[in-house]
Amino acid sequence: MTAMTKVKGLATAASFAATLLVGGVTYASAEEVTLTMAVPDWPPTRIMKKFFDEQYKPKSGNTVKLDVDFIPWPDFYTRVNASLTSGEKKYNFIVSDSQWLGAFVEGGYFRKINDLIDADPELKAAMESMHPAVLNAYSTYPNSTPNYYGFPQFPDVLVTYGRKDVLCNDDEQAAFKAKYNEKLPCTGEEIDAMDWNTFEHVGEFFQRKKGDKLAGQVLDDDFYGIAYQAGKGYDFSTSSVHTFVWQHGGGIWDETKAPTGHAEGVVNSPKSIEGMEHFLKLLKYMPPVVKTGTMDIFVSDQLFREGKVAMNIDWIGLGEASLDPKTSKVADKLVFGLAPGLRGPDGKVNRTSQIGGQPFVLTTWTTPEQIKEAVGFVKWWLSPDIQHQFAAAGGQSAIKSVYSDPKYVTYRPWDRAWANSLDWQKDMWHVPQFFELLTQQQDQYDLAITGKQDAKTTLDNIAKFQEDLLKNAGLIQ
Amino acid sequence: MTAVSSTLLTPRLTAVVAHNWKLAIAVAVVVSAISMAGLPAAVSFWVVGAAAALVAAAFTVNAYRRHYFGALLVAPAIAVLFVMNIFPLLWSLGLSFFAYQANQQTIRFVGLGNYVRILTNDLAAHATWGALINTAMFVVFTVSAQMIVGFLLAILFAKQFPLRKYLLILVLTPMMLSVVASGVFFTYYYDPTFGILSYVINSISGNQFILMSNKVGAVAGIVFADAWMWSPFVMLLVLAGLVSVPKYLYEAAAIDRISSWRQFWMITFPYIRGLLMLALLFRTIEAFKLADLVILLTKGGNDTLTISYHLIRIANEQNKTSEGAAISYLMLFMVIVLTNLYLYLANRRTKGA
Repeated sequence: MTAMTKVKGLATAASFAATLLVGGVTYASAEEVTLTMAVPDWPPTRIMKKFFDEQYKPKSGNTVKLDVDFIPWPDFYTRVNASLTSGEKKYNFIVSDSQWLGAFVEGGYFRKINDLIDADPELKAAMESMHPAVLNAYSTYPNSTPNYYGFPQFPDVLVTYGRKDVLCNDDEQAAFKAKYNEKLPCTGEEIDAMDWNTFEHVGEFFQRKKGDKLAGQVLDDDFYGIAYQAGKGYDFSTSSVHTFVWQHGGGIWDETKAPTGHAEGVVNSPKSIEGMEHFLKLLKYMPPVVKTGTMDIFVSDQLFREGKVAMNIDWIGLGEASLDPKTSKVADKLVFGLAPGLRGPDGKVNRTSQIGGQPFVLTTWTTPEQIKEAVGFVKWWLSPDIQHQFAAAGGQSAIKSVYSDPKYVTYRPWDRAWANSLDWQKDMWHVPQFFELLTQQQDQYDLAITGKQDAKTTLDNIAKFQEDLLKNAGLIQ
Repeated sequence: MTAVSSTLLTPRLTAVVAHNWKLAIAVAVVVSAISMAGLPAAVSFWVVGAAAALVAAAFTVNAYRRHYFGALLVAPAIAVLFVMNIFPLLWSLGLSFFAYQANQQTIRFVGLGNYVRILTNDLAAHATWGALINTAMFVVFTVSAQMIVGFLLAILFAKQFPLRKYLLILVLTPMMLSVVASGVFFTYYYDPTFGILSYVINSISGNQFILMSNKVGAVAGIVFADAWMWSPFVMLLVLAGLVSVPKYLYEAAAIDRISSWRQFWMITFPYIRGLLMLALLFRTIEAFKLADLVILLTKGGNDTLTISYHLIRIANEQNKTSEGAAISYLMLFMVIVLTNLYLYLANRRTKGA
């Protein structure tokens, strides 16, 4: 008996003991089935739970209970990771950030769902009606192969949040035109057409000090033009830097040979550096908190809701709070459009962007009865009627028939940007080493964002680290 | 009498009696080995557990018959200590010699590879040493800030003055707050847009002030928050020392017209020295483990990554379990060396006095 199998055996035994200790969580009688779910705590999952409690009637006739653990976003990865790797086998269903697939599939935690899709024509139809960008990012591992693991729970993209009262003000419009000889984007369509140059101009133009005038009113606090995530936590700068790197024609890994391609020369290629430099150039027009390296998606969202910035690029998932007058000073002044892109010499705009959103995945220890109910639940969740209701309550749908319905854009002000954004969404690495890649990259980006090193050094360091990691993992020589 | 008969019985390995612990061990080893080899892990786990219980029971009966009541009384405590502390400690020590990741079901022996990696690999060692240097810096700054502020507060509260009782409660509050609450509070306090600190300095200087935008500011921010929380702890300890000084010593000193400076060094200080050293020890060990405030305030940005936070990231976030085990043993080694050095110095001082 080798040391390896011994440890494995003991680990399995320990996890078995843990399961017994946790008690009957995963066990239920034939009539009553409990699905335990780990989800991030935010509107898209709260809405799902509410719909489930109010409307869901399983076709099997069983009583299905959905036991949901709402976990705050900043802790979500750590908690789910701890639960899975400790072997407690607590959750049947996990809302997983799309990039985690590789890490947890390889560990044997996430269940492959090809058999479930093939066995159920209804489910197959629902999966096939999904936008391919979303399906690839949320479901497949290795990426874009027909090996499915996830069902889309909440698809998400980056959009531009704008303040109409500031952007559409006549004085500001005239001054902007005089300064840059272009129109200050004011309507949703104008924001859709905006490229990074205009976005940068908006940032420069709206930098105002306390006592300056903004849209005819004297400011009692400093005001800033633009905000866009650039924080050290989780993936809060990766999402924005990747977008710029891709749009400039650079890469985050060698996609032709991934995951066995070299990192050197791709990650730090001149085009990647150019993209990163472009992103760094925008930072000086953002609120001062960006210089501390803590401006994540929540901070930029709060700055926008507090009325401190004219435009913010953020996930749709955070949008509900800005619509609510109780949590937003700009609730009645909102305008939404596509996230900006890079205009090439031919005038075409490249909008390749980091995809957001989450699939839910089944864990490997889920029993057949639970799987049956879980599939029933997923089919119900992906049914057009529920998807419409979800979108109407502030969620999103990636099902073609739903988002192309003319009704769809009337649900929420950002929905007009939704369907158009899907085509150019792209995801980062779905590999087991995902979190190592991410944390090291976030550290390096943070050094660049807080002005400690330039883009070239940053990407050289990242390439060096990734090269070493790929070697240690035996993926390259 | 029973003790004598027991000593006669125990050597006979084959005797099936309740207190034959040697037989129990032999049976346990054989049964465990067979079950681990032949049974599924989930079943053998319980078989091994039952075997361990059998050995424990044999020992207990043996001790009882021999009237080793002292040993029996401390046995539960030792058992808990073993299960909760020593076993995981040894387990992680073992793990540090393997290449093992918690999210991947493979394991491979690498000897001292993990230690070599964290101390010499140009990428991993760089992070380890950087984190260790930062930790040392935080230990020096936070502990000295807490010792000075706590000591001064204690001198203040040793005197009687109006509202003393209520002020004392107020001063102790930060210590009772959860670190997370304080951390979030300080995040807003230091925020350049919403925070009062930048607001006040901006209105005086006219320029945008951002505390956490460089290393000096970030370290100052963390040290201040930590001192705010833990100075009251030092104060409590010192205060206990101060009130224990007999009044008559001061009266005698006053009659001898000794200056208050000398009174402090000759009378007060010897009484509080032990407690000051205790506060220093506690706070040094705690400061060495600093991670919570760093996570909340900077996420390790501006070169404020401490060794504890580095460990959390390696072991819990990146799932490099065995590399994390190696780092924690490095930490444990350092804490043990530091503590012993401290105890050695403290003892030498006491003997010298």
